[in-house]
Amino acid sequence: MKNKILMFWFIVAVVIVSSILIFVKPTKLGLDLVGGSRLILEAETTDTIAKITPDVMSRLQFAIEQRVNKLGVAETVVQQVGEKRLLIEIPNVTDLKEAKAFIGETAQLEFKREGKLPDGTPTWESTGLTGRDLSKSILSTDSSGQWVVSLEFNSEGAKKFAELTKELVGQQMAIFFDGELQSAPRVNEAIYGGKAQISGGESGFAYEEAERMVNLLNAGALPVPAKIVEENTVGPTLGADSVAKSKKAGIIGLSAVMLFMILFYRVPGIIADIALVIYSLILFALFKTIPVTLTLAGIAGFILSIGMAVDANILIFERTKEELRAGRNLFTAINSGFDRAFTSIFDSNMTTVITCTILYLLGTSIVKGFALTLALGVAVSMFSAITVTKNFMHLIFGTGELKHPGLFGLRKDEIGQSYEAVETKREKARFGILD
Amino acid sequence: MINTGRKHSVHVVKYRWVWMILTSILLIPGIIAMIYSSVTYSNHAPLKVGIDYTGGTILQYGLEQKLENSDVTKTRESLESIGVENPYIQILNVNNAQQENTKSNINSIISIRTKFISEKSDEADKITEQLKKDYTNPELISVSSVGPTMGKELFKNSLIAVALAFLGIIAYLSFRFRFDYALAAILGIFHDVLFVVGIFSILGLLYNVQIDGLFITAILTVIGFSVHDTIVVFDRIRENLRYYSKKMSFGEIVDASVNQTLTRSINTSLTTLITLFALYFWGGVTTRDFVLAMILGIAIGTYSSIFFCSMLIDFWNDKSKQPVSA
Repeated sequence: MKNKILMFWFIVAVVIVSSILIFVKPTKLGLDLVGGSRLILEAETTDTIAKITPDVMSRLQFAIEQRVNKLGVAETVVQQVGEKRLLIEIPNVTDLKEAKAFIGETAQLEFKREGKLPDGTPTWESTGLTGRDLSKSILSTDSSGQWVVSLEFNSEGAKKFAELTKELVGQQMAIFFDGELQSAPRVNEAIYGGKAQISGGESGFAYEEAERMVNLLNAGALPVPAKIVEENTVGPTLGADSVAKSKKAGIIGLSAVMLFMILFYRVPGIIADIALVIYSLILFALFKTIPVTLTLAGIAGFILSIGMAVDANILIFERTKEELRAGRNLFTAINSGFDRAFTSIFDSNMTTVITCTILYLLGTSIVKGFALTLALGVAVSMFSAITVTKNFMHLIFGTGELKHPGLFGLRKDEIGQSYEAVETKREKARFGILD
Repeated sequence: MINTGRKHSVHVVKYRWVWMILTSILLIPGIIAMIYSSVTYSNHAPLKVGIDYTGGTILQYGLEQKLENSDVTKTRESLESIGVENPYIQILNVNNAQQENTKSNINSIISIRTKFISEKSDEADKITEQLKKDYTNPELISVSSVGPTMGKELFKNSLIAVALAFLGIIAYLSFRFRFDYALAAILGIFHDVLFVVGIFSILGLLYNVQIDGLFITAILTVIGFSVHDTIVVFDRIRENLRYYSKKMSFGEIVDASVNQTLTRSINTSLTTLITLFALYFWGGVTTRDFVLAMILGIAIGTYSSIFFCSMLIDFWNDKSKQPVSA
């Protein structure tokens, strides 16, 4: 009995800690619930980069992170998935089209010189000087008040730029941004000091245009072009709607289940309901601490795990009732009920955990969320359904004979009627059966 | 005879043929629908698959006004007039009774499915502009877009994941029980999945219901539940075999075990179904098909664990014993 009381206080402590955690920590809701965009970007090979290596991917990821941060939205995510894809999550984005364009822009800055194709037509040739040689760019105005983009080269870039301009005195040098000719000034003299300006040609830059270019240049060019291959955007209204409705449905569903348990199993039903509440508290505290991002699929996993937690209790109570019908006293019936139900609870939960592990390792992000919540739920339910319920059952019913079968939803005449399980000596010792 | 304290309410072994016929009746319409779909659909899929697996873009707009079914044709024609190829329009009416607690005043959702719209294209803006002409204040509430190559990959990966999950379950059950139990459990899963997929194939033909990424999640849930249920029955058979195998025939033990676990099987399914029905009636419109798939799967999973799987192991046991008795 002393152990039982110690266990009781342990459960109380767990409940208190969980409640505090739930109160203190914020819930992480997925984009399908709060609204936002989930994009998958795929890197594409180019003439110069024929293979997407891990190094290319990490540079791409860095550049994309820089840009996503520039959007000024909190809690964005950029992470690599698979060999050549990036997953980007942007909550509460206001202008998605603009954001997508901004992220997808390669922002390749290139300086080119005049050249000729074999058939004699003039063209622009690469010089090897690109946006990678920049240290930074600044938005400024020139002497006539036009918006210009001022460039500052790093030391190597400055050297290259000086040599190039020395070579090109008297010729035109073209500046291309994302394959588009921005301006092609004539080089009057060699430029030392590593500074240059891009003006928007004859019509000049609009402010937004120049600002955007500065931002992109500072964020760094993408090493390879990348395109959006998957998008999932949920507006904030739909997200809020889903949350409100899931909550309402969850509360109605849970209350109905709890009512059912009390009607069918009486006092043990009440205990199961308490265990279920404790289960939900612990699980939510875990979700918040890890933290697990809750999505619609995750909520489905949670609901299923409630089903399994209730199932464990139903299994136990059915076995306990059988033992009581066989005329066992309360203590023995409860103990052997738990013990006999345990193997089926354990085996069925193990298969669930196996399935969840495989799905978590292989699945898409939707499936991952589902697998994680379900596996956690099953693990917690092993504690709540077995430890919590068993402890409360023993504390409440004690060790005597069953005087009021109604407490278990049994009829008096059922007692001593049925089920003659033959125990081995070892089992008898374990269940505390006295002959 | 094991005394369960009451009369056996189901007879798995005695009425074996009844359960075989019932199983066929449950599965055959779905199988026919799947074959019919595979032949008639252009992508030869047994189900109407959504953009998650074929690639494409879905734009959803929330509207304050209530829409009629005639709006589907109207919107399709309107979009075709601006050059949108084969748009697929669906209208979801949001039940007003569900609205009290939410701030939104959206009464209908119009969902437009087109081919994949890449980020460079302004087709989405064109569609929004066109809808603004036809309706008052349409609000773009969700966009999902899946590139064509991505769709095939998702499909392949889902199948690999499910196949590996199967192998894992077989391995574990063979280790804890016996290989034939594992096989029966897996056939039980097949039975349940086939039923749900079959029903959705029929729904696809009749009501244009399409399956999406969430559908796979629902199927996985059904698999989890189906094994769960089956194991509880098998565990009881395993236990009873230990105590009674000398006194009773295998068939009697199977029957007794099913009856002993019957209340539990029904109660567990009931409690889960209660939550699911709550989600179906009070949850969001967008997840309704997903919940429906789980309701169907859990109901059939209970049936299969009681009748189908136990019948199988009894059937195999009979077969394997015949040469000995003959």
